[in-house]
Amino acid sequence: MPKRNSTWPTVINAAIFLAMEIVALNMIAAGPSLQGLRISEAAHRFMGTVWGGTEAVKDYFSLRETNDSLMRENMLLHEKLLRYAAADSLADKAAETEGDFTFTPAKILKISNNKQHNFLIINRGSEDGITGQSGIISDKGVVGIIDAVGKRHSYALSLLNSGISISARIGMEGAVGPLVWDGERSDGALLKEIPLQYKYSPGDTVYTSGYSSIFPPDIPLGVAGEARIINGATNEIRIRLFQDFSTLRYVTVVTNNGRGAMEELIP
Amino acid sequence: MKWNKNFWIAYTLTIIIQLLICNYLNLSPYVMLSILPVAVLCIPLNFGTAFAMIIAFVSGCAVDFLADGIPGLNALALVPVAFTRKTLIQMIFGEELFVREDGFSVKRNGFPKVLLAIIIMQTLFLAVYIAADGAGMRPLWFDAARLAASLAAGTLASLLLIGILAPEDK
Repeated sequence: MPKRNSTWPTVINAAIFLAMEIVALNMIAAGPSLQGLRISEAAHRFMGTVWGGTEAVKDYFSLRETNDSLMRENMLLHEKLLRYAAADSLADKAAETEGDFTFTPAKILKISNNKQHNFLIINRGSEDGITGQSGIISDKGVVGIIDAVGKRHSYALSLLNSGISISARIGMEGAVGPLVWDGERSDGALLKEIPLQYKYSPGDTVYTSGYSSIFPPDIPLGVAGEARIINGATNEIRIRLFQDFSTLRYVTVVTNNGRGAMEELIP
Repeated sequence: MKWNKNFWIAYTLTIIIQLLICNYLNLSPYVMLSILPVAVLCIPLNFGTAFAMIIAFVSGCAVDFLADGIPGLNALALVPVAFTRKTLIQMIFGEELFVREDGFSVKRNGFPKVLLAIIIMQTLFLAVYIAADGAGMRPLWFDAARLAASLAAGTLASLLLIGILAPEDK
């Protein structure tokens, strides 16, 4: 009889253990999706409010740095505007080939950089016209992709997240492949599946390809470094990203208004 | 019962500290600093394994939802710690703790035994966490380096906390 008494609790404990592990694995597999946000909306609101509030204190002490960064960005934008004005006066404009993108400025409330699945929370949500699968960029490249949208804030997966891959191209007319974070350095990425016959030079700039419906083409991402051959079939090229994620405060959300129509074409 | 009467206050504080660590103390991609395993290890022995697993699951989910961003990851890694807690304590500290329904402490049971228990629990937690976090995407050397660095950091942090979670006799 004592044997029976000691066996049943072990069986019940093992069953509870298995059930909890299966639930946890399902939660990981589901990820922080839009549906997930509905379940955890209160938690994300908490994160946005509490951690965002503490960021305000941090912001106060980095005002000078932020101000300098904004001044530099303003100067660059001013130069760009002048160039566009000059080009416009030449008439004969090329046909608009990019999708219909809307650009929304946003402030980062919370960002993580030293994890394997980094994320960021921004102060724009569905009330500001943000939708899931919108891109996030800065003046130095791609920052991430919106994963879940609340009313006033959005949760995005950072480019420094092993679950993210974006379509990138070497040079203005080079080979295209998926670009993923290398998982080690905050400025390191890997450009994969580049054909062996394609020649490139270390130092070449890598841009977004525009082949996805998330990011417009020709956004500079970083510079190419050394390559290694994978399975004797393709090159994997190390990329040094332009974006310094540790100093990131302000970003722009890029929403492709033609995304729905594009997706309808895919069977 | 000779357990720390303020254990659940200390446990809640540990969860809050873990939330702050996750949000403000991201040292490096190689270091995942967690003090949750030691908190689960110190759950009083008069609470059963099923109860400890539920507490571990809820604590893990709290950290996942309020700080870490990947729902289920901490919960997945923390439940095995709760599941093996009593067996491990029995193996390291002996049967007498259960007979006396007593807790362990550095003074009563010795530093090496407490250190061994913390290291085993940390290793179990980190092995599951890192394997699930990398999901086969990272090379083995990276996961091994991450495990070693995180184990060192987590063990040190746990030793600092053990005095609060499992205080000495007065």
